[in-house]
Amino acid sequence: MTARQMKLGAFLWATGHHIAAWRHPQAHVKAGIDIDHYVALARTAEAAKFDLLFCEDAAGLREADVSIASQTSRSIGFEPISLLSALAVQTSRIGLVSTASTSYNEPYGLARTFLSLDQLSGGRAGWNLVTSASPIEAANFGATGLRPHADRYERAREFAEVVTRLWHGKLGASGHDGQSFSVCDPLDLPRSPQGAPVMVQAGASDVGRDLAARTADVVFTAAQTFAEAKAFYDDLKGRLAAYGREPDDIKIMPGVAPVVAETEAEARAKYEELQELIPDDVGVALLSSYLSISDLRRYPLDGPLPELPESEGMKSRQALVIEQSRRDGLSIRQLARHFAGARGHWRIVGTAVQIADELQARFEGGAADGFNVMPSYFPGELDAFATLVVPELQRRGLFRREYEGRTLRDHLGLKQPV
Amino acid sequence: MHLTVSLNIASTTGQAGALTFSDLAGFAQRAEAAGLDMIVLDDAPPGRAGSGNPFEATTLLAALATVTSRIGLVATASMVAHQPYNLARRFASLDIISHGRAGWNATMAQAPSEAANFSRPDGFSSDEFRRRSEEYIGIVQGLWNGWEADALLFDKDSGRFHDPGKMHQLDHKGEFFAVRGPLNVARSPQDTPVLVLSGLAAGDLDIAARTADVILLDERQAARRKARHDEFRRRVSASGREPNAVRILADISLAANGVAGLADRMEEEFRANNCDGFNIRLSAHISALDDFTNRVLPELRRRGVIRQSYGGTTLRSHLGLSGGGDR
Repeated sequence: MTARQMKLGAFLWATGHHIAAWRHPQAHVKAGIDIDHYVALARTAEAAKFDLLFCEDAAGLREADVSIASQTSRSIGFEPISLLSALAVQTSRIGLVSTASTSYNEPYGLARTFLSLDQLSGGRAGWNLVTSASPIEAANFGATGLRPHADRYERAREFAEVVTRLWHGKLGASGHDGQSFSVCDPLDLPRSPQGAPVMVQAGASDVGRDLAARTADVVFTAAQTFAEAKAFYDDLKGRLAAYGREPDDIKIMPGVAPVVAETEAEARAKYEELQELIPDDVGVALLSSYLSISDLRRYPLDGPLPELPESEGMKSRQALVIEQSRRDGLSIRQLARHFAGARGHWRIVGTAVQIADELQARFEGGAADGFNVMPSYFPGELDAFATLVVPELQRRGLFRREYEGRTLRDHLGLKQPV
Repeated sequence: MHLTVSLNIASTTGQAGALTFSDLAGFAQRAEAAGLDMIVLDDAPPGRAGSGNPFEATTLLAALATVTSRIGLVATASMVAHQPYNLARRFASLDIISHGRAGWNATMAQAPSEAANFSRPDGFSSDEFRRRSEEYIGIVQGLWNGWEADALLFDKDSGRFHDPGKMHQLDHKGEFFAVRGPLNVARSPQDTPVLVLSGLAAGDLDIAARTADVILLDERQAARRKARHDEFRRRVSASGREPNAVRILADISLAANGVAGLADRMEEEFRANNCDGFNIRLSAHISALDDFTNRVLPELRRRGVIRQSYGGTTLRSHLGLSGGGDR
């Protein structure tokens, strides 16, 4: 039996994860309207033997302020389920995971759509369950305000339960008649080639962790330090027993935003080049949105982060940012610039050896089962990771050289659901 | 004469039982080689468990878009199964993936028991369903028009990705929906994906006259088709659109007609101005398409009632509709 190996996701995001990526000379600026660009990225990731492609999603603009929105590339992009359906037939092995919200969908339709993606791809689909936290999205669905955090998660719990029963053919003759949803019929599609599409979650709040422990196969998370990552890992794995599950039934894959080059100096220069492209307005607006505060610009840019009330938005990300501002004594401007590179995810700047060292330390230290890789701009930084870091991980025996199986569950080493 | 083929995936079988993607890809490629305007992918209504056929229509459309290059691809998607914002995004995205070949077939008929699978156990009354559908279609088309054609600047040096003055909120507040917009998918390569309406009852004709790019007439009798066609054209004019702004395609079934007399009948109806073309309904075996393309099409082509090959690259250009693409 081979030693435990890390799982790698290629986290796609139009021009790149860095907020100013689209302005980089080597970023493909039309990524959000170019399907061929995505086909090429998918093939790069598959050739590098990544476990999966990951698409996040929001059903609305990202910025409330139109002037800020117009200075980023984030207002347009592909709807991810149609994007991954196209990529399904242009690839043969790599997993295809899309985000979809439990807030603005119905379980019957969503279960059916993901099962269809699973059939098109021969058992490579995954659903990243999120509960939408953005008031901008809410306004596209008739909501007068965002639902409270706990309500969103109760709806998500019922949603996940119905989807799982539909996928497993376990919706009985009486159907489902619950608090938020009712469904009367089983799905009209055949059973998934991998038993059921893979269930992914990203929420890291207390209720989010419980939901993940109950239903998820994979958990994405954001953690800056080893200690944070380790604490999250131990906490979540520790919750599994209560649901009759084994620690290995969930793969925890924190986000990592690498900036890699042949030398450390080159990597640092590359990172600084990107940082120089961030307008302060854009950086601060992005930070504001993740802190669920309307506008941080009314505070002095070079002063500290003000005291903030606990949000109804992304609780865990808010806590992470506040913690970092205190730990590192950063001003709003510094924090915004730091945050703009990877939205609070772990960033490593260095050579392939340095990056592999860091990944190995978290993987072997029991803080991760793998990583969701967030290239700063596309296609260059995905290429760099594939050609520099992946071979280094393979040399160390930490990552596969060939796919072991056909389905996403095969890649992740997950049991087929019964 | 416009020719399309509509494929009921749920009732269709491949060479040996359940359909595979490669069966369907082969079908689409043959239809493209024959120069058909578009394929309409039907979607099984919920509650038909175990049909044995594996694909939902919009995901299938995305996949077929990558293995074809000219033929239009229209997916049926229900207004009960999707929220209008989500559906508008899906089709806008499909249109970009297909380089301007996507269309949405919205059925105006309420599928039995569908609402019950979408947390609406009591369904909708016919009148409510009609009002809701009209509002829904208006939202989707409004969202598709939220970005002006030259809104995206892609200007790395000045840091202006788009012109904020050319991105428009919808700010819709109606009886059934409230949608602010704008869409977070760029404008369609053909300005808007093609809107196909089917399952029309008499009370739906005005909605169709105001909004549709294509209507599928399922009237079986030629005389009634003619009457429906003329009536519909009047309503299109009354709604302030050019009478030819909408293509009217009459459903025709291969099985019911046989191959021999089909070309005669199609030419006759077309020349009598009963319709702008035909939607060939295929079921049971997708190989039935070959009968049509190998025997009927050459005859229609010889008679000069269909074009020799694709003139443009977008679905709108195949259908001779105004709008973007091929500019």
